[in-house]
Amino acid sequence: MLRYVGLFLIATCLAWAPTASTASSPTVVEHALGSTAIHGNPARVVSLYQGATDTAVALGIEPVGVVESWTEKPMYRYLRQDLQEVTYLGLETQPDLERIAWLSPDLIVGARNRHRTIYPLLERIAPTVIPGNVYDFKALLELMAKATGRVARGDELLAQWQARVDDFRARIRRKLGDQWPQEVAILSFRADHARIYYAGFARTVLDELGFAAPADHRKEGWGIKLTSQESIPAMDAEAVFIFMEDDPAVRRTYETWSSHPLWKNLQAVRQADVYHVDPVTWNMGAGIIAANRMLDELYQHYNLEQPDHQECPQC
Amino acid sequence: MNRSLVFRSASDRWSVKLNTRVLIVTLTLAGLLVISSVLALASGSHPTSFMDVLGTLAAPARSELALIILEIRLPRVIMAILVGGALGSAGLILQGLVRNPLASPDVIGITSGASAAAVLFLWLGGVTGTSLLLAPVAMGGAFTVALCITALAWQRGISPARLVLVGVGLAAALTAVTTLLLVLSPDSTAMNAYIWLTGSLYASQWHDVTALAPWLVVCWPLALIKLRHLDAQSMGEDMARGLGSALQGHRLLFLVLAVALAGSAVAYGGAVGFIGLIAPHMARRLVTSGHTGLLPIAALIGALILLYADWIGRVAFIPRDLPAGIFVAGIGAPFFVYLLYRLRRELA
Amino acid sequence: MLTSLLARTSGTLICLGLLLVAMVSSLAFGHIPVSLDMLVTSLLDYDSGSLEHLVIRTERFSRTVTAMIVGAGLAIAGVLMQTLTRNPLASPGILGINAGAMFFVVVGATLFSLTSPSELVWAAFTGAATAAFLVYFLGQEAGRGISPVRTVLAGVAVTALFVSFAQGLLILNQDRFESILFWLAGSVSGRELDAIAPLLPGFFLALLIALLLSRQLNLLGLDDEVIRGLGLRVGQVRLLIGLVVIVLAGTSVAMAGLIGFVGLIVPHMARGIFGTDHRWLLPLSAILGATLLLAADTVARLVIPPQEIPVGVMTALLGTPLFLHLARHVRKVS
Repeated sequence: MLRYVGLFLIATCLAWAPTASTASSPTVVEHALGSTAIHGNPARVVSLYQGATDTAVALGIEPVGVVESWTEKPMYRYLRQDLQEVTYLGLETQPDLERIAWLSPDLIVGARNRHRTIYPLLERIAPTVIPGNVYDFKALLELMAKATGRVARGDELLAQWQARVDDFRARIRRKLGDQWPQEVAILSFRADHARIYYAGFARTVLDELGFAAPADHRKEGWGIKLTSQESIPAMDAEAVFIFMEDDPAVRRTYETWSSHPLWKNLQAVRQADVYHVDPVTWNMGAGIIAANRMLDELYQHYNLEQPDHQECPQC
Repeated sequence: MNRSLVFRSASDRWSVKLNTRVLIVTLTLAGLLVISSVLALASGSHPTSFMDVLGTLAAPARSELALIILEIRLPRVIMAILVGGALGSAGLILQGLVRNPLASPDVIGITSGASAAAVLFLWLGGVTGTSLLLAPVAMGGAFTVALCITALAWQRGISPARLVLVGVGLAAALTAVTTLLLVLSPDSTAMNAYIWLTGSLYASQWHDVTALAPWLVVCWPLALIKLRHLDAQSMGEDMARGLGSALQGHRLLFLVLAVALAGSAVAYGGAVGFIGLIAPHMARRLVTSGHTGLLPIAALIGALILLYADWIGRVAFIPRDLPAGIFVAGIGAPFFVYLLYRLRRELA
Repeated sequence: MLTSLLARTSGTLICLGLLLVAMVSSLAFGHIPVSLDMLVTSLLDYDSGSLEHLVIRTERFSRTVTAMIVGAGLAIAGVLMQTLTRNPLASPGILGINAGAMFFVVVGATLFSLTSPSELVWAAFTGAATAAFLVYFLGQEAGRGISPVRTVLAGVAVTALFVSFAQGLLILNQDRFESILFWLAGSVSGRELDAIAPLLPGFFLALLIALLLSRQLNLLGLDDEVIRGLGLRVGQVRLLIGLVVIVLAGTSVAMAGLIGFVGLIVPHMARGIFGTDHRWLLPLSAILGATLLLAADTVARLVIPPQEIPVGVMTALLGTPLFLHLARHVRKVS
């Protein structure tokens, strides 16, 4: 059945795609919204969300079009030097469809929660793959590696990552001893509220590294927003990681909350295990490079030595 | 005295009387609509020329240009016309039904009902379920709310004043529910929902057109045929009964028509406001006629408003694509002020 | 309805009792469990080392005070508007005053980067005044002065106008959107008392003026000619009342965001119990308004801890059934 679908898709692609098709059989990629046949190795890649941009760069591709970043516009500093020649496509929420079409891409990577409605249109423009979960950067890497024909590179990156994870787990177990696994909370402050993240990119990475979470934080949903300082005890954990924007209103909120006696009463605060981390890599990057940089920060915060690891040029 | 043309069928079984001025205005507006549509098709974030557009429309080729014009821009332009037209006609029917020049689908709670249902769907079905269900869900919300309003306002019949007041109350409650959902949802859903609440035609596709069109194909002719009963009602209830209008039955029908038109429009275009309020007024400024003649004009004006608003949203802030609802409000507000000035003068 | 002085006085005492209960609940309930004797000791024998005492003194106290002020202000604004427009369904929310204030506050926050309530309140005042002006104009009907249904429709239209403009601004400034969402939904938490203190003198002045005008308000229900015959300067009184409404509603919006229905249902409740004499009606509305908002805020905290439902949502959900009941029984007005 799949073969016929694939053949049909090939025929459609051949009819529509202006780029020359190679004689080799197409790669059929299964993704969250179906399966797509891609022939040849796509050279012109369009990324419609942050994680895909990150992963493309990690795989050594310079996309022809990307969506803007949320902060550090138009693109996060850690990716900027590899994205000198890209065309920006507007915001992730409503990318500019005409520009995408005019770029004549060979592959489009989108996000399910944002681009499900425009998926049929995107499919008409170019083969489109949509990963299932925006937080699962490893699945994304595998998907994009397969779609772009850079499976070897993808495997290499994953192996590197796995080695680093194993190393980190060993070192931190040695360092913390009985206190491992440590319960950590992920917090964020905005101009008028504070947040606790139950799930998300940072949580996924921390879980993989072996960190635990307070029982209260193991709930359904992405997290909660807190408006009253009375709820500060809900944030309690053995260590907390905090990220926030560099904005005066946000800083003011943080200062108000962190000078409250309930804050000073938190276990993490008493043990001085409060770490301020980079919002870009912890919350927005959502790709393998961001994950690696997150890990760098963790090594730093826990004062662990990093082994020399073979650099991917951007990690 | 308005000149009119009368057409009779061969066997004299039916006749149609067309007011000449209505005819002229309708044709002029239709012509304006066609020209504007073609011009709108020629604008976008990717520069295309007028000749490109005409060429592609005449002879569709397989190229990026054809893709942009035929798959991205054309459905969107058509949706703007259909949604704007539906909202304009719904507003006309409601204003006639409620006998108040300030009534609109937003007032009756239709828009809020659709909005609440849509936001609820976006919140719950964030990951599961196909987004193709969003429009039917919104329609369902609109109908449910309209049903509730009718039921609550029904006391031996529908009184227009009571209808409005109940609509206002439910609208406020639904707005509260919508706000609650927005507050509790993660950022991506909240912004999606907020854009929908403002009214946006981004990424309209052919399957949206084919889903909306049947509603209009059914409702518009029905409205055209039955709207003369609305004229009878504006002369007072006793007069209307005397003229043979089945008062409550017709009121119900008009309510259903208005809800169907507005609900389907909002389901596909988002919660665009104002068009239902101002298009009928603009129509009345152009012609003096009964509701039947006003219907096509109000629909055409509504279509033009939304077409222009969407056009501006597409090209004014490239590469950002702003929701048409913002610019509808921008067009609507100055006219609204003008309207209020005129109404006051007429009333004082 | 209570008519005798004795009955009214007892009624007043009961309402004050309810207010006290609401205040105590607001101070006692929340994410951190606090027992009643702890509450008492925190007020009498304050121990700065105790967490519970701290929570009560800081967070809950400021919430309670804010809710009381905003509740009273909105209720009185509602009474005044209903008397002024002779429309039992008038309130700052329905007649667009809140929306006008909200829009101007959004403009202030996005285009002018104002953040503190004392700056935003001026934006709120301007917005409330603009909306009031528009609705007043629209609500006129030939020869009859202000028409009730027309006023409501005008209010709805004006609300739509301002809300859509505000939405447009927020979409253009998506980063501001998040930080204003909670305030838009109505919130009395986190308002530091020193931040709102500058607003209070004007607020209480307006309140006082309203109370002093009680006798004149009683007369406003009559025809204009009769009132003039009685020696009252109708135009001036109306203008003054209008200003008072704007100050009260504007301050409430600046402090707590959009909270609807309090200004609508509290006057009805108060009128139902105490009659239409404004000398009783105004103070009692204030008491009932404060009680209602306190109760709504307390419940809003208890539904999905540690998150809170915005109090504006709570009042809407509570107020809608009552509003619908009222709407059904409005006499047919053309």
